[in-house]
Amino acid sequence: MSYGRVVLSAVLAMFLFLFIAADLVLFGVIPLNSVIVTILPLVGLVVGALLGVMARKKHSGGESQAPPAQFAPPAAI
Amino acid sequence: MKFRYLSLGAVAIGMVLVGSASTAHADIPGSSGCEGTGGWLEDGLFVIAETNGGVYVIPRSDTVAWEGSVAAPPGLYSGSISVDLPPPFGEVLVDDWGGDSESTGNSGAHEYDFPSLVPAGVEFEVYGQHSDENGGCSGTITFEIDGGPFDSPITPISLGGTAVFAILTGLALKPMFKRVA
Repeated sequence: MSYGRVVLSAVLAMFLFLFIAADLVLFGVIPLNSVIVTILPLVGLVVGALLGVMARKKHSGGESQAPPAQFAPPAAI
Repeated sequence: MKFRYLSLGAVAIGMVLVGSASTAHADIPGSSGCEGTGGWLEDGLFVIAETNGGVYVIPRSDTVAWEGSVAAPPGLYSGSISVDLPPPFGEVLVDDWGGDSESTGNSGAHEYDFPSLVPAGVEFEVYGQHSDENGGCSGTITFEIDGGPFDSPITPISLGGTAVFAILTGLALKPMFKRVA
């Protein structure tokens, strides 16, 4: 079982939320010293990991489904 | 990193010592009887250190006439000005001072020009503290540079980064959006 997708999603979401925090600061929505700037990337890390787990489950669920009938092995006689 | 450009924070808080005594203004909380003012010569903004004026909007460049004083000869003194960053980064030191003096005040004018990299419309909280043989005092002011977010090249870079990482995150999570037949 590979956790690569989970780690990748977590890291990418962390950077996404970090940039969102920077956008919020640059557009004057929150002050520079706001704790939200610190919290958002951590939220991104957690949310990204959770979504990564869901994506991995869905991906592996799709892969483990029974193959179409034409590719199925012949029934034993 | 030392933002020497932000030394107007020191000016506004008015805790710079040594020199001629200033006229009386409201005290900064503390035991040294600190007082300070700053006047923006072109913009006309006038800041009294003790007054809580909310967020001060200042021009990107100007000259500030400042005054600072303490109630009694300070003797050995030290102080600093810093900008608050989000936790856990703490503060960025803007300026500091120290020495030994019997003078109770100082005044002068400081010309500043923030580089375009410093974003406009962003609230910076500047913290200043001073201590001497009579005690100490501290204060904060919040200011932002006049202008819009796109005055700084950092804003398009940040928006671009957001878009790039949104796309990459979407691609990493692609299986979530696929229908499993």
